[in-house]
Amino acid sequence: MKEQNEEKIRELLKTMRSADSELNRDLWPEMLRRLDSGPVRVPWYDWALVALVSIWCLLFPNALLGLIYHL
Amino acid sequence: MELLEQFARGDLEAFELLFRQFQSQVYGWIVRIVRNREVAEDLTVETFWRIYRAHARFDPTRSFGAWARRVATNVALDHLRHALPEVQFFEFKKDALKAPPADSVFQQDLRKNIDLAFRQLPMRLRVAATMALIEEEPYPDIAEALGIPIGTVKSRVFRAVRLLRKKLKRLGVEP
Repeated sequence: MKEQNEEKIRELLKTMRSADSELNRDLWPEMLRRLDSGPVRVPWYDWALVALVSIWCLLFPNALLGLIYHL
Repeated sequence: MELLEQFARGDLEAFELLFRQFQSQVYGWIVRIVRNREVAEDLTVETFWRIYRAHARFDPTRSFGAWARRVATNVALDHLRHALPEVQFFEFKKDALKAPPADSVFQQDLRKNIDLAFRQLPMRLRVAATMALIEEEPYPDIAEALGIPIGTVKSRVFRAVRLLRKKLKRLGVEP
């Protein structure tokens, strides 16, 4: 009985429509846009800011509490 | 071979040639898994983006098509893992489930329940069953794309059907 049901399920699954797999347009222009956008880069001034804050925290450790408060 | 070597060195023109040669094949594979044309187009671009970034890891002595299919499968599975559930994942052939008019309500319910039960299957079982039973792709191709042995594909398809039967039974449906 189980085997019969499973066979019926297989038959039913075969009736599910196969997805239309034809590509109707060229995707290269989109690929080029993607390549041009490139990976997300952190600008140099963000790195400079991080460096400045780190130095400031090293020189004035007590200021760290104030920085955390403002964050 | 030369083209693949150029691509592996990061040559954009070689990549464009490969893109144009394989975009239809990659798209065709992805749309079978995600079953949505627009999403499949986006994921095709995403696949080639990953391929381009990984050009240095590509071995030019291997098949580019097989590698692309593997990457495409991972991209499609990533998408399905994060996608919201669709209203209806599958459509049915118009002449499917032939039945007398009196049975049409029953048939509609059956279709709805099969669709519902199928979408509840674990991802790896669902993909294996989709490719093997609905798309009727050869087992070796499925195995290569999923990066698993052929025996595992067969086992997943078997488990998918068994689980589907149990789920349908729970929904009160005996096929």
